[in-house]
Amino acid sequence: MGGVVGGEARVTPDLSPARLILSESTPAPQPVPSEAGGAGPVHQTPVRSAPPANAVTPRMSEQARAWTLSPPEGASTYGPRIDALLERSHVFEAGLAAVMLAWLVLAVWRFRGARPVVAANGGTRRSRAWVLGLAVCVFVGVDGTLFLGSERYARDVLWNLEVPANDPRTVRLELNAHQWSWEARYAGEDGRFGTPDDVVTWNDLRVPVGVPVWVQLVSTDVVHGFSLPAFRVKLDAIPGRVNQTWFQAAREGTFEVACYQHCGTSHYRMRGLLTVLSEADYARWLHEAGRLATQSYDADDAAAHWGWEWRAP
Amino acid sequence: MRASWVRALWTTDHKQVARQYLWGGLGFLLLGGLLALLIRWQWAWPGQPVPGLAWALPESRGALTPPTYTVLFTLHGLVMIFFAVTPLLFGALGHFVLPLAIGARGFAFPRLSAAGFWAYAVGGALVLASFAVRLGPASAGWTSYPPLATPAFTPGVGQTLMTVAILCVGVSAFSYGLNFVVTVVRCRAPGMTWGRMPLVVWGLFYGAVLNVLFVPVLAAATLLLLLDRVAGTQFFIAGAAAVGGGGDPIVYQHLFWLFGHPEVYILILPAWGMVGDFVAYFSRKPAHGYRLTAGAMGAVTAMSGLVYAHHLFTSGLSPVLGRAFMVLTLLISLPAEVMFLNWLMTLWRGSVRLTSPMLAALATMVVFGLGGITGLALGAVATDVPLHGTMWVVGHFHLTMGAASFLAVFAGLYFWFPKMYGRALHEGLAKAHVLASAVLFVGVFGGQLAAGYAGQLRRLYDPYQYTYLKHLLPLNQWTTGCAFLLGAAQLLFVGNLVWTLWRGRAAEPNPWSVGTLEWTCATSPPAPDNYATEPVVLRGPHVLSQPDVQQQLGRDWIGQAEAAVLGGTE
Repeated sequence: MGGVVGGEARVTPDLSPARLILSESTPAPQPVPSEAGGAGPVHQTPVRSAPPANAVTPRMSEQARAWTLSPPEGASTYGPRIDALLERSHVFEAGLAAVMLAWLVLAVWRFRGARPVVAANGGTRRSRAWVLGLAVCVFVGVDGTLFLGSERYARDVLWNLEVPANDPRTVRLELNAHQWSWEARYAGEDGRFGTPDDVVTWNDLRVPVGVPVWVQLVSTDVVHGFSLPAFRVKLDAIPGRVNQTWFQAAREGTFEVACYQHCGTSHYRMRGLLTVLSEADYARWLHEAGRLATQSYDADDAAAHWGWEWRAP
Repeated sequence: MRASWVRALWTTDHKQVARQYLWGGLGFLLLGGLLALLIRWQWAWPGQPVPGLAWALPESRGALTPPTYTVLFTLHGLVMIFFAVTPLLFGALGHFVLPLAIGARGFAFPRLSAAGFWAYAVGGALVLASFAVRLGPASAGWTSYPPLATPAFTPGVGQTLMTVAILCVGVSAFSYGLNFVVTVVRCRAPGMTWGRMPLVVWGLFYGAVLNVLFVPVLAAATLLLLLDRVAGTQFFIAGAAAVGGGGDPIVYQHLFWLFGHPEVYILILPAWGMVGDFVAYFSRKPAHGYRLTAGAMGAVTAMSGLVYAHHLFTSGLSPVLGRAFMVLTLLISLPAEVMFLNWLMTLWRGSVRLTSPMLAALATMVVFGLGGITGLALGAVATDVPLHGTMWVVGHFHLTMGAASFLAVFAGLYFWFPKMYGRALHEGLAKAHVLASAVLFVGVFGGQLAAGYAGQLRRLYDPYQYTYLKHLLPLNQWTTGCAFLLGAAQLLFVGNLVWTLWRGRAAEPNPWSVGTLEWTCATSPPAPDNYATEPVVLRGPHVLSQPDVQQQLGRDWIGQAEAAVLGGTE
């Protein structure tokens, strides 16, 4: 029980309303061990105190993947639910496309230059009823599946900020998007934003594995889009408001942060790295970085103090 | 007495206005297409000099730079939507066909259609002029989201010129929208009941209604943005440390998409109408479920303004709105399915004739079907997240409002060209053009869907900056190859057009053997007043292969206004 979601087979228990109640009343899902990372093998990056700037977890069969119509390799605890839903809806869609094409080709081939069989109105009451019935069936089947799956995911994960709010281990992250970088602020060991031990990084996010990461996102210039392709996370950064979302890493490794809203000339270079560390490594890093931040804290440097009081959901 | 050049340019004859829009639209289609090819070049060979472009970009020896690239995708979108597709569908085909098809002598407001064309022309001139100004043309994306589109971040005059140009096409679209609506309501020939209108008239009518309702919303948003640009207001500038101010950028996004989503239906409704008609004409059979089809198009029209916020699923929308727009978005697929099944049922047991308009209509069906199907996942909140802002979205909407709309434009042109110019296009060239275009459209936009599913984000100057996208280079090169072939295939159309205008044989009076008014009661091209005597309509547009008609007239069609002693051929 809890938030263990590893693939389609394990989706069902997670969808029960019981889980929702659970996550509201008790401290949240347990950290998920590496098995939840999806189909591919899990890549463990060696423990480092500082990841090299360009290292991204390697993937298998690079060139071949382009032609397989597969999403970016996942690293999120909950991402597989979206992937499974997408896969299911693609099966439906492929079926629809096949029926449409087959019907069209068959009709053209079979009736090309044929003697037309014509009802005065081009159809009968019965044939029109068939059209309506068929359309309703397709609609209920295809759109219904999408709606229910989507609704469950939104209720359990996407819009359910109770999970990070109720988990004492949750990592809170303030993210300031600007042309053209991601500036991240951690509360430091005291757990409070706006204190000297706040850790600020540029294009370099670090999170512990198996722990909810709660992101509050702003922009100080234009509209940006915060996306973690490997985590199925997307959220707009819009000047004048604080948007929030959360995710949970299923495995360690280094992944990419990408901007998905056109934000000016160097939009394409608004790239950051997200390193998923073990809980111990993360704690060690935060301690060290907080110590350095406290040392170099400059109370007069107003521009460096852009954080805000954490906002409740 | 006015000078002849004034008469040639300022004309209130709807057929002449249609020809003006046709040439304008085709010109901008060429421009928009070339811009698209440059974008595709960049994704296949990033930063490599484009052969033959050194004269335009001497500093980079013809290679696209990031600022140039942002101009390319911004202009491609704006030019195609506002200056190519809508002018061709409504400006050219709509202006030409609508009054003829309902038996009218012209539009309710002939001077308004002339003024509308000139508003469009001024807008087009501003777009072209923006290439010559300092800092270049607009570059904030076709959506022109503020604050990026405000002078703090896009200071060039080009962005301002484009904002004014959008207002100009807005004036044009609103005025022909109004004109179409009033004309259909007030100017139908005697006997032309709502149930006897060709489906293309329904499509144009619904599209015109949407123009009247939603173009003003775009105009409002664009006008406020213009004020932010030139008058120092701050409607859409908020809280930003760099600029200050008290407005809200998200308001623009809502206004823009409140127009933007109906706009995609504006771009496809006339296409649906043409497909419905052509499938019936060339299956030699009345349209299956005519009323259902017209009703389904009406249902889509009615709902089109209620689904727009699926464009904003990732904007931090409240769950209440997210749910509501998810339900409404999924719901709009139901009438589309009814309509599509009706088309398929029309083919069934008909006598299918693969003429060039029919091939184009069938191709429109296929690409529109694929585009619609690939849009389903974007309508649900959860599945939208991984696909949002990726090439999947690009592939999806290009299949519907790019491939489907343009194939429908070609279907319409191949069908009505003999009526417009009195000359017959070369049928073989036309068929080759339609087939090649359809296959390559699926290739290009299918490749984009695949890249998007693999996570490639839109509007990236160099997608391969991202490690997780590096492996997509061969796929993108393949897609670019298809795009260049698609561009080359259009030479078949251009060649056919030029040859026919220059040397083409005279068109037969009713080459497609159909019964609609323009083919049965008017000359090719029609006289300035369209009809010598006002037609009195007796039956619907698709009275085909009816046994009593065949018996009495010895042919499988009968004119909508043709007097004959017949029973029960409503």
